[in-house]
Amino acid sequence: MSSSTTPKIAVIGSGPAGCYLAQSLLRAVPGCELTIFDRLASPFGLVRYGVAADHQHTKAITRQFDRLFQHEAVRFAGGIEVGRDVSLAQLRELFDAVVIATGLTADRELGIPGAELPGVIGAGAITRTLNAHPDAAAPLPALGSDVVIIGGGNVALDVLRFLVKDRAAYEGSDVADEALDAYLAAPAERVTLVSRSAAPDSKGDPQMLKELAALPRAVYSSPDPIEAGNAGEALDRAAAGRVAAIRELIAADRPRSTGPEVTLRFGLTPLRVLGEHRVEGVEFAAGDEVIVVPASSVVTAIGFAAHPDHAFAALTAAGAETGRVEPGLYRTGWAKRGPRGAIPENRACAKAVSDEIVADLADGSLSASPSTLGFDGLAAEVRDRAIGYEQWLRLDEHERSLAASDRVRRKLPDHDRMIDIARGA
Amino acid sequence: MKFTVLYGTESGNSELIAEDLGAKLRETHDDVEVFDLQNFDPAELTPERFTIVVCSTHGEGDLPNTAIPFAEAFDAALPDLTGVRYAMFGLGDTFYEETYSQGSEHIDRRFAQQGAERVGDYGRHDASSWDMGSDVALEWLPGVLEAASATV
Ligand SMILES: Cc1cc2nc3c(=O)[nH]c(=O)nc-3n(C[C@H](O)[C@H](O)[C@H](O)COP(=O)(O)OP(=O)(O)OC[C@H]3O[C@@H](n4cnc5c(N)ncnc54)[C@H](O)[C@@H]3O)c2cc1C
Ligand SMILES: Cc1cc2nc3c(=O)[nH]c(=O)nc-3n(C[C@H](O)[C@H](O)[C@H](O)COP(=O)(O)O)c2cc1C
Repeated sequence: MSSSTTPKIAVIGSGPAGCYLAQSLLRAVPGCELTIFDRLASPFGLVRYGVAADHQHTKAITRQFDRLFQHEAVRFAGGIEVGRDVSLAQLRELFDAVVIATGLTADRELGIPGAELPGVIGAGAITRTLNAHPDAAAPLPALGSDVVIIGGGNVALDVLRFLVKDRAAYEGSDVADEALDAYLAAPAERVTLVSRSAAPDSKGDPQMLKELAALPRAVYSSPDPIEAGNAGEALDRAAAGRVAAIRELIAADRPRSTGPEVTLRFGLTPLRVLGEHRVEGVEFAAGDEVIVVPASSVVTAIGFAAHPDHAFAALTAAGAETGRVEPGLYRTGWAKRGPRGAIPENRACAKAVSDEIVADLADGSLSASPSTLGFDGLAAEVRDRAIGYEQWLRLDEHERSLAASDRVRRKLPDHDRMIDIARGA
Repeated sequence: MKFTVLYGTESGNSELIAEDLGAKLRETHDDVEVFDLQNFDPAELTPERFTIVVCSTHGEGDLPNTAIPFAEAFDAALPDLTGVRYAMFGLGDTFYEETYSQGSEHIDRRFAQQGAERVGDYGRHDASSWDMGSDVALEWLPGVLEAASATV
């Protein structure tokens, strides 16, 4: 009896989506056994490798997930990439249900002429380097004196904040110091942040803009009308907050010291990236006008997409309505909804997908088979290689112990080394 | 005493704290219920049960998503809460300087306006503090229980 009511469920990805889904299933399907796979030795996905190093308060959500991994019915299997070390088909045989929570890692392409020129860099590549992601290009690419950021969302603002901050502002962070040092050796002199939307409709959170205003760094200006949104319509609260924050940022009497000159541009559409052998500028359409902004580098922060090499990229449809691919196979988080939404949105999303799984169990389209072996059915070689939660804790402790006195952690960018340390080698 | 622990959350921290408070109370009390605010009918607030609300802050000093349906139901019904005693534990983040921990205050104001009486200290957790929310809440609880029994 008990085996037929205790489904074995595999979750692929230990980012917020996978963790929230596991939390939800633990409550909704009593007795279920969960294995959370991640290709990396460390859990938490973008909480560890996307969220800015100087926003440690946001990373505090991992303490909630720590509790999840301590649950006896939950197993972390780190360092196992589905599609390389084990196939999705194998997992579907070994588990009653499989949930894809792999996120979306590729920077969305600009899709305009010149976008492939050297000097055009995705924001994901930069934020991974600053977070010491093992896949990241180790040295931060040289950005030069004139950086153009394309995009006005929170990731674009994370990049802007990085470009204007000085060393002292990283106290208590876990920034990759090599990357910080490389940038601060030749920081940007001018930064232009270009949003396609008008200021009130741009995507950044007001709080992120207020944070920039509160930093005693950089000089901000904008030649564009800040309040010109959908003319005539009253601004909603977020839009009003954004406008107020931008006003504060560009106010003539804002206290300032040193730092780059930052120009905020709104309502501009990128047309092409200019340059012979590398980036020299970007051409934008502003209404009927064409504007050229000189650039030594261009950082694109216009969203994310499935990595074309990802083993099941085709299953991670951007903006799917339902988490159910078919009974027994589901998706959640960015892999389901597309690259939109902050950490909390993944909780509501996971709850909805967990409800779909519960519904499939209830109507019999999904059932727990007594013969599924779950994690134990994996090849011994894979099982032995999987980094368990206790091993991650050892690596976690090691990273904390390596931190300089003004850092909370020092991440190791070398994945093999991470695995050795996790194993106590 | 009988207890109802209610939580309003968006990223799950309040739920964890509410569950931990519920588990702690069950060690010494037989009748302890824990509900997500979105699954709780304001008409169920009664003087027979001591109510503990754990609620975070989102947006700009706003209620978290799961507390919004409750607030709407509350405003539609405006229950008489005379005799209801409750305690508040608010979550927030001092990173949001101007709106710190205001989410739970939306509920607190409603309860007070309808005649309920808040007991003990107003508990707070600051996500920037790096303290565990549950630790802070479990330290806060005995004072609330003491104040609650002193005023019976
Ligand atoms: C740069 C950046 C900064 C952000 N900052 C914030 C912020 O400050 N606050 C906020 O609320 N939100 C922030 N977000 C948004 C937030 O990170 C996302 O909402 C959230 O991480 C999406 O969760 P997810 O679990 O779907 O994906 P992810 O977090 O990407 O997790 C996916 C996991 O799956 C694993 N994986 C992928 N493929 C495989 C495979 N084949 N086999 C095994 N494992 C695999 C990955 O290693 C990863 O751990 C930010 C996003 C980015 C990109
Ligand atoms: C988008 C967003 C907006 C927030 N706004 C506020 C705020 O205005 N004031 C505040 O004190 N905390 C704010 N917070 C912090 C949360 O209240 C804090 O992270 C809390 O621990 C979340 O609890 P929960 O998981 O129960 O929702 C915000 C958090 C997020 C993600």
